[in-house]
Amino acid sequence: MGFRVRSPQDFWGGIVLIIIALIAIWASRDLAGMRGFAFGPGTAPRLFAGLLAFCGALVALVGLLQDGPKIGAYAIRGPLFIVAAILTFALAVRPLGLVFATYVTFLVSIMASKEMRLIESVIAAAAMTAFCVGLFTYLLGLPFQLWPPFMY
Amino acid sequence: MSDLFANLLLGFSVAAHPYNLAFCLLGALVGTLVGVLPGIGTVATVAMLLPITFGLPPVGALIMLAGIYYGAQYGGSTTSVLVNIPGEATSVITCLDGHQMARQGRAGAALSIAAIGSFFAGCVSTVLVAALGGPLTSIALLFGPAEYFSLMVLGLIFAVVLAKGSVLKAISMIVLGLLLSMVGSDLETGAGRMTFDITELSDGIGFANVAMGVFGFAEIIRNLEVSQESRDILKTKISGLMPTRQDLIDSAPAIARGTILGSLLGILPGGGAVVASFAAYTFEKRISKNPERFGRGEIKGVAAPESANNAAAQTSFIPLLTLGIPPNAVMALMVGAMTIHGIVPGPQVMVKQPELFWGMIASMWLGNLMLVIINLPLVGVWVSLLRVPYRLLFPSIIVFCCIGIYSVNNSPTDVIIAGVFGVFGYWLVKHDFEPAPLVLAFVLGPLMEENLRRAMLIARGDATVFLTRPISAGLILVSAILLILAVLPAIRKQRDEVFVE
Repeated sequence: MGFRVRSPQDFWGGIVLIIIALIAIWASRDLAGMRGFAFGPGTAPRLFAGLLAFCGALVALVGLLQDGPKIGAYAIRGPLFIVAAILTFALAVRPLGLVFATYVTFLVSIMASKEMRLIESVIAAAAMTAFCVGLFTYLLGLPFQLWPPFMY
Repeated sequence: MSDLFANLLLGFSVAAHPYNLAFCLLGALVGTLVGVLPGIGTVATVAMLLPITFGLPPVGALIMLAGIYYGAQYGGSTTSVLVNIPGEATSVITCLDGHQMARQGRAGAALSIAAIGSFFAGCVSTVLVAALGGPLTSIALLFGPAEYFSLMVLGLIFAVVLAKGSVLKAISMIVLGLLLSMVGSDLETGAGRMTFDITELSDGIGFANVAMGVFGFAEIIRNLEVSQESRDILKTKISGLMPTRQDLIDSAPAIARGTILGSLLGILPGGGAVVASFAAYTFEKRISKNPERFGRGEIKGVAAPESANNAAAQTSFIPLLTLGIPPNAVMALMVGAMTIHGIVPGPQVMVKQPELFWGMIASMWLGNLMLVIINLPLVGVWVSLLRVPYRLLFPSIIVFCCIGIYSVNNSPTDVIIAGVFGVFGYWLVKHDFEPAPLVLAFVLGPLMEENLRRAMLIARGDATVFLTRPISAGLILVSAILLILAVLPAIRKQRDEVFVE
């Protein structure tokens, strides 16, 4: 009888959970465990990481034994540009200020969709930037730096 | 009884303060505005708008958040009626008959019955929250660490039972959530745990980051896969907002039944609005003399679930305000907000900060009133919002979320962490894992660990303490029974059917 994974979705899901659990156990290796009756800082993380590894193993086992759906195709374009947009914002907001960071982030994220249109995007980005600055800086009074430091 | 009135009076005097009224109105408006957008659910809406309340005083912030919550829910029903895409899980049911009514040119009647039903349910459940708040709080004072721990176990088990899909996978998500909540400094010794020497992680993973990543970013990435051009927006003009006399007579009993069912289900941990609306619809259909009319524009099929989900949304505040235990993901977000304002949810809130407790309850009623007043005339505005193409909508949401997360701590690292959780959330969806139990467990994690450690210490390391103290044993027993029931094949089948329908 040939061996095959009957539900890849569950099988790989379980495997990843086990990996996360192992990373957690490795990361909490230096923490003290039980001291007498008292939990140490490492007790609970190891307890739950162990439990997670166990659950992950069960999920993977179910994936081996029970028929289930295949893993849906991963989109590349969407996640890629969304992640790029988030990184852009995180890296740009300090050195460039809120206005430029917002504008650029909007333009990067809009590329995640195939239906993007250039002129419309440029105008929408400006409108959204104005809205966000108005809302966060003026209406909510949050202390954001709006422009790059060299412009002051 | 006179206590109840005195308390409600105190509440209304707080809620009627012009600032608080304004926060409530603003919350309801913004909540509806975001909730109307297709593909953005209640949880995502509340998560997205969480940061804008951080700068407010605590009472105002919580009132506004509650307003956002109701607004988001109502906005979701508006989308269901007008577009055949539910904004969120609670309004999936409203789609069935609501959209059919809209196709028959009765969108106005459907929307106004939804509003009236929600308002009625809101009135009843507000009184219920006020009446049950006191007694439940005194029960909570009997609770020691062992009881608290067991109660949280029960709450998490409820979340497992009511999550759709595999029970095992839901439990895995709970455990993962608990594990993630332990990142950061240890409660007692201050030792950094699983921080990988990243300074930003020594305070723990920010709750707003997880919620925004898993519910906000992941949703968008997932929605991008589906072509958005096929949206079936109602082109006809909405005329005649007012329901007819016959509509009112038809839907009145359905509203009453929905309210009762919703109020009961809302109190249960792990339950809340989604289950309430499903249950109310199924119940209406079962007792109806002509069940074949359901799914073809039956007004009762709009009235009952809408009343039920609003009633449940309100009563789900009861476990949060009295026991400090969030019964569902939205309430978990509320706990996150309270913690940021330095309020520890639980029985002491009512004793120490009565103006906060009763002010929030009174503002629930005002929030519902505002929804009726603002939504019916503003339906046109919401409709035009639905015409904004998704290709412009999603970058706006991304930008808004980024600024929101950044504003919490002025930390770019937080934005990146949220991005990581966004990708992780996308992965979870691909492998059919539910993110809601994860977030609930993430919020309960620190509380659970603290109570577990204290209970074990008091019992001198004896783990049977959870079974020897009567209240705790009872809670554990209920959890065990629930879990067994959920795994039993016969009941599973029925449960899956409810979700398929």
